[in-house]
Amino acid sequence: MSEPATPLLEIKDLHTRFHTLDGTVNAVDGVDFDVYQGETLGLVGESGCGKSVTALSILQLLRCPPAEIQGRILFEGNNLLDLDREGIRKIRGNEISMIFQEPMTSLNPVLRIGEQIAEAAKIHKRMTRQEAWRWAVEMLRMVQIPGPGSRSKQYPHKFSGGMRQRAMIAMALSCNPRLILADEPSTALDVTIQAQIMSLMQKLKEEFNSAIVLITHDLGIIAEMVSRVVVMYAGKVVEEAPVKELFKDPRHPYTQGLLGSIPVIGRKEQTGRRLQEIPGIVPSPMETPLGCRFHPRCHKVMNRCQEQEPPMIHLAEHRRVSCLLEA
Amino acid sequence: MLAFITRRLLLLIFVLFGVSVLLFGILMTFSPERRAATYVTSPQQAKDIPKIIKQFGLDDPFYIQYFRWMKEVLKGNMGWSLVASRPVGEAFWNYFPVTLEMNLFAAPIVIIFGIWLGTLSGIHRDTWIDHTTRILAIVGWSLPTFLFALVLLMIFYGYFQLFSPGVLSDQLTMFIIDNPETFTRFTGMYTIDGILNGRFDITLNALAHLVLPVSTYVIVVVALNMRVMRSGMIEELSKDYVMTAQAKGADKKTIYIKHARRNALLPVVTVAGQLVALSMEGSIAVEVVYNRHGIGWWLAESAVQLDMPVLMCICLFMGVVFVITNLTLDILYAYIDPRIRLN
Ligand SMILES: Nc1ncnc2c1ncn2[C@@H]1O[C@H](COP(=O)(O)OP(=O)(O)OP(=O)(O)O)[C@@H](O)[C@H]1O
Ligand SMILES: [Mg+2]
Repeated sequence: MSEPATPLLEIKDLHTRFHTLDGTVNAVDGVDFDVYQGETLGLVGESGCGKSVTALSILQLLRCPPAEIQGRILFEGNNLLDLDREGIRKIRGNEISMIFQEPMTSLNPVLRIGEQIAEAAKIHKRMTRQEAWRWAVEMLRMVQIPGPGSRSKQYPHKFSGGMRQRAMIAMALSCNPRLILADEPSTALDVTIQAQIMSLMQKLKEEFNSAIVLITHDLGIIAEMVSRVVVMYAGKVVEEAPVKELFKDPRHPYTQGLLGSIPVIGRKEQTGRRLQEIPGIVPSPMETPLGCRFHPRCHKVMNRCQEQEPPMIHLAEHRRVSCLLEA
Repeated sequence: MLAFITRRLLLLIFVLFGVSVLLFGILMTFSPERRAATYVTSPQQAKDIPKIIKQFGLDDPFYIQYFRWMKEVLKGNMGWSLVASRPVGEAFWNYFPVTLEMNLFAAPIVIIFGIWLGTLSGIHRDTWIDHTTRILAIVGWSLPTFLFALVLLMIFYGYFQLFSPGVLSDQLTMFIIDNPETFTRFTGMYTIDGILNGRFDITLNALAHLVLPVSTYVIVVVALNMRVMRSGMIEELSKDYVMTAQAKGADKKTIYIKHARRNALLPVVTVAGQLVALSMEGSIAVEVVYNRHGIGWWLAESAVQLDMPVLMCICLFMGVVFVITNLTLDILYAYIDPRIRLN
């Protein structure tokens, strides 16, 4: 795939802090990465490393406690962080949409499915009620829900988890967004449904020519779906690589840990595997270790790792790693 | 649906049986002499008390007295009210419109204000709006109704000579009594009858008499509604589907009204049953203080004079009110919450 020169989304030095009663939480601490039109970018990392907060920062959906977002989030060249409330509202669901992890709770229980899907089109495309509803039925057909006409009149409790997630996808795609932020879209579903949802997303992404930022714990999905991977640890990017290279030659000890010992892409046992357990615990964002954040858990730790923050080392285009071993 | 309603109405029979046995039992703890004394109007008749006990079987076993009462009720005879000095059934229809009228005015205000203020303070949590409504709620909730009613009466009637107690001015009451042929009492509610008879001065006068009772009542009862609505709003606004709506680009108003409020209304419907109970209690104090001769006033008077047939009648009435209210609420609940099916 040949990528256009200017990225669709550029995140530059993003910091997201929560000021809580217990102190300041640096959930995202200097993240940057680019997303190009039509590509699928994988965002991986252990629980609590700031993946969701990064995605939510893009659309400024972090509510309470009020988050402090710093840095630049350039979408088609415009900084989303400069927009006022109305400005960002016009982006949400229209240019950039979001798919959440929990299909069971992400739909409003007292509104009909069709109404909920039609909502975005009504807001952004100025469609009338009937037009938007017809469009919602069309979207349900597109996400392969049988009997979309009658299904659109039902309430969420009549839908299974997989069907709700399809409805969420229909909702996210309904305004034909340029970018979809999918935060673990299949984690809450069982395995066979997961595969269906992922292949549906892949197919629709191509039809709609949207880019996807796919947040997941599932390396099998990463191997299958994405072209490039950004690995996060404790609020920072530690490595970025095209997917094949990442599996073939992970540079950061953390990535190596995640992938297990000898990762070979395409090998049977590779697919469908979850992130490996790495000994030790993720540091809390309130007390990050000095030096390299990963050093207390790193099996290749050196003396200077404890004092010196590793710089980001660019090895090639879209190939970078933040580790003193490479310096 | 029909089966559901039928079942609930069958339940009504058991409820009425239960509450009437209970109240009858409580009243039976008064000695036969004490109960016989209510038939006595002068000290000279005191010697007749044993005769009265014999005549009405007041010392018969509990169940015999109860079934004797029930037989009469089933024949449509509720007994004689000493307080009203007329048959209980007739007296009931005389007092009922007064209470109903007050509730007809108060209920919509309670519902609309409760939902509106609760929504506002839920949205603007911990701002001055929230604090003001909270203080209002605490005052309404903790002050006894009669005290609150007395304070309002003292200020507005005692001090400013506004809003006199009663249901209508003496002059107009006399006019209605003297001219039964020009003023027909269609409903027994003066605000409505005034309009139906083309006498808008009567409607206005009746409305003025309603201002203080309705205000008291609203302030006392609205608190619960408001608090439930507020906490419902706060809870709903923290739910995932609100984030979904935000991510779609919905504006604040849509999120508050279309998404969160519809969900937050569900618990309000559940406590509405309690609101009815509250309004019963409220109407006793309000009617006594403002001298409105409705069911609450009648109940208070009858309790003091041990007017047993009246107490039993109001007890049955309340049973009916509760069962019907809860039935209505359940149907309403199923209507606004698609997850509930009636069966
Ligand atoms: N509203 C908030 N207030 C305070 N801290 C928060 C808030 N939201 C997230 N955090 C903290 O920010 C850090 C990053 O959270 P985030 O949800 O982004 O992790 P994640 O990488 O998505 O993890 P997971 O894989 O479990 O979803 C966590 O330590 C979390 O406790
Ligand atoms: Mg997450």
